[in-house]
Amino acid sequence: MNRRYFLKSSGIALASVGMSLSAPSFLERVVFGSTPSRGKRKTLIAIFQRGAVDGLNMVVPFGESSYYDLRPSISISKPAPGNAEAAIDLDGFFGLHPSMSAFKSLWDSKRLAIIHASGSPDNSRSHFDAQDYMESATPGVKSTKDGWLNRYLQSKNDPDASSFRAVSMTTNTPRVLQGPAPVVAMARLSDFAIRAGKSSANVQGGFEALYAQKSDDVLAGMGRETFEAVNYLKKANPEQYQPENGAQYPRSPFGNSLLQIAQLIKASVGLEVAFTDLQGWDTHANQGNSRGQLANNLQQFSSGIGALYQDLGQRMDDVVILTMSEFGRTVRENGNRGTDHGHANAMFVMGNSVRGGKVYGRWPGLKNDQLYEERDLALTTDFRDVFGELATRHLGTKNSNSLFPGYSLSSSRFKNFL
Amino acid sequence: MKIVLVIALSLSIVAPPVAAQKSAKPHALSQEQRIVHVLNRLGFGARPGDVERVKAMGLENYIKQQLNPEKIPDTVAENKIKDLTVLNMPAAELYAKYPQPGQLLRQLRARGMLPEGAPAPENNQTPPAGNPLDNEKYREVIQKYYRENGLQRPQQIIAELQASRILRAVYSERQLQEVMVDFWTNHFNVFAGKGADRWLLPAYDRDTIRPHAMGKFSALLQATAQSPAMLFYLDNFQSVSPNAMQRARGPQQQRRGINENYARELMELHTLGVDGGYTQKDVQEVARCFTGWTIFQPRGGGAAVNAMMGEAGRRNAGTFFFNARTHDDGEKTVLGQKIPAGGGFKDGLTVLDILARHPSTAKFIATKLVRHFVSDNPPPALVDRVAKTFTKTDGDIRETLKAIFFSDEFNSSTAYRAKIKRPFELVVSAIRTLGADTNGGPGTHQWLARMGEPLYGFQTPNGYSDTAESWVNTGGLLERMNFGLALAGNRVQGTQVDLSKLTANETSQAKVLDQSLKTILAAEVSAATRETLLKQLDQSDPVTKVVGLILGTPEFQRQ
Repeated sequence: MNRRYFLKSSGIALASVGMSLSAPSFLERVVFGSTPSRGKRKTLIAIFQRGAVDGLNMVVPFGESSYYDLRPSISISKPAPGNAEAAIDLDGFFGLHPSMSAFKSLWDSKRLAIIHASGSPDNSRSHFDAQDYMESATPGVKSTKDGWLNRYLQSKNDPDASSFRAVSMTTNTPRVLQGPAPVVAMARLSDFAIRAGKSSANVQGGFEALYAQKSDDVLAGMGRETFEAVNYLKKANPEQYQPENGAQYPRSPFGNSLLQIAQLIKASVGLEVAFTDLQGWDTHANQGNSRGQLANNLQQFSSGIGALYQDLGQRMDDVVILTMSEFGRTVRENGNRGTDHGHANAMFVMGNSVRGGKVYGRWPGLKNDQLYEERDLALTTDFRDVFGELATRHLGTKNSNSLFPGYSLSSSRFKNFL
Repeated sequence: MKIVLVIALSLSIVAPPVAAQKSAKPHALSQEQRIVHVLNRLGFGARPGDVERVKAMGLENYIKQQLNPEKIPDTVAENKIKDLTVLNMPAAELYAKYPQPGQLLRQLRARGMLPEGAPAPENNQTPPAGNPLDNEKYREVIQKYYRENGLQRPQQIIAELQASRILRAVYSERQLQEVMVDFWTNHFNVFAGKGADRWLLPAYDRDTIRPHAMGKFSALLQATAQSPAMLFYLDNFQSVSPNAMQRARGPQQQRRGINENYARELMELHTLGVDGGYTQKDVQEVARCFTGWTIFQPRGGGAAVNAMMGEAGRRNAGTFFFNARTHDDGEKTVLGQKIPAGGGFKDGLTVLDILARHPSTAKFIATKLVRHFVSDNPPPALVDRVAKTFTKTDGDIRETLKAIFFSDEFNSSTAYRAKIKRPFELVVSAIRTLGADTNGGPGTHQWLARMGEPLYGFQTPNGYSDTAESWVNTGGLLERMNFGLALAGNRVQGTQVDLSKLTANETSQAKVLDQSLKTILAAEVSAATRETLLKQLDQSDPVTKVVGLILGTPEFQRQ
């Protein structure tokens, strides 16, 4: 497609659908055309632990005696040589859950940073509301229409952006990526195609012909862009993918999502923001300690991310992985050897550019008078300061204030993990 | 009345509309186009034979009929939905017959019915905890209990509700009624994934939206304000005045106070619009007025409640009630109007009255209706006229719609096929145009979700967008094409298509194509499109392919 011709004909399209006064963003993109960018670009991989992971058993404050007092049956024991059931020592005060050994080498090589006691300043203990707030990044305000990662995409208008600039490996577009900037959501890469069995190629040809000949229509422009993206992905040949560096992803939907994100990055399709999520963290009963429900889920979580890191190898120079969960869980274990909905939590940030090997954020303590509402880990880092640091220093947005309406972002509050 | 209508109609044909479009000169539509236009906008597109039927009865008669749905017999649609039992159940029955696994587990434990050695289930949390069916220790005993007691999983409720929406949109003769149900369900959006809303939504559709979809806006607004579904979704059920009698609560009770969520969205999204002239102070005052508007047993009565309150407690679970003990009975001022102390339940009604009759509401509702029925960019002159009608008729939805349907702007070529169908409109219109038969089941729900419009699946209170830019994107467009192919190829589970009916056993390729184009697109395609399609007819099963392609054309994405 000749870009100049495209511009001209799309101009007609603007007028004919009566949108000439305020062209919506997708029209601008159609007007400017789109070629998947092959150049180097920064990528953020965001992973949501839906259901509120117990941050205190994920990143264990074994240096706090209150931790053991308040969790008689579910605590993780202090690191001890030769004890595989004990916490993995990080800095003499914090330790990783023993099922997260995949993170140990990343910590040791200073590529893994932890921000503890972080999260939303809103006190909602509803999963729905808290996920909503974390994804819109407007705690307390429900009517925010777009997610913060979509606002990031809007803030950095990129005429050369590819259709795969933002990809969610989920069936539906998650709240964090909803908004006017285009996003592709798909459960599997193979879904992003014309699916008509043996005649798929033939039928796709038919659609391409239909959408090619009708150039005075916004839909036609988007159709051409769609097939450009489909064909581009096909060339990347996702069926033939082999992970590198001996990476072994868990055989689960989560593992597959991460593997396919690695595929997209290696295929240089212009991926800038990738998203996926993992459920099953709502451990109200029998969450276990070094083994059990939470241990199994943390094992899947950390080994998946570990494999992704290994697979991407040197490419992690330009990639940062961020993990988050809507709120933490009660410091005290409940009557059912589980934990209930709490407040602050822990986030991981990983990448070759990350100043890792450190637990960031002020630790508020776990003594009774240090707890939030006498039950939860208090909050010392607003998640917007973490997101904001990633957006400015990693993704390089110039317009970071538009990302968090109602919040004045300041680098003085950044944790400097980048 | 009849005379007025006819005059309005003939005017619209004689006088060309004045919509300001530079390139395409607007002109009046042909009679055939007007019929197609009305079938597309007042309904979910034509079924085979519909255009001829409307022509025979007269277009104005058809529109008048659609504006009075209660007079249209609708036995086919009623038969289609008669086995969807959740539609007629009160919330209490839904709680009982479609229990949440977690709640069931707690009950089983209370009755000592869990097997030896099974670990203790979670305590009574708000909101309910994770799914115990993910835990293999519980799975078997719970599944057995569901089976033996004729219970079903709660997901079934929304599955049946979605099915009813699809079936009615496909089969109902009351097409405009279904369009308005879709419009108001979206305007007063409630997300099925939030807590108890799953059990509360059948009543929302049945008792709140449907009875008022073509009635008075004020009645609709009050119905939504008192609906347990909305009270739960926007948290008003737990909005409690700090000044009210709360002292009996023990320290274990969750601390609660005023929740402004409903008050804010009521003004921003349901009535005045974001620039409608209210302040944060108004939000706070409105929230005070609605304290005590709550739900009796919002998550269904547990065993303890049943024991305490008996049959009445069980029956009324999940219904509206006003709790005077949590109401703030002081004086309030809303949009400059004083609401005296001691109003109790009436405070909320007064607020709804002020809002329903506010000029900003007339403008906001008129804008949304014109955007839905006429154009993504609502012509301001039409919005003004429609808002005036809204005000003059005290928010009569039927009269307001009439002002739109008989306007020049609606009947202009600039409005013709100018709206991009939303996925729900696409799915239903595709099934209708092919005369396909559907059960409205999960097969169709999955396609709606893939294209981005799962019914009752929009999280935030603003509802699905009604403009093109939200729906024209690579992933969405690809899924639209795939849906067309799947439907034509009989690969949508629960939906059957007989394409031989469509093509009347024509065998010549050109005739097959022309017949398909006539049925699906009223033959309104360019010569180039027809030529392109003709070239595609090279396979063993040309009809399936060509129908799939036509459903995926840019033309069919429009209405």
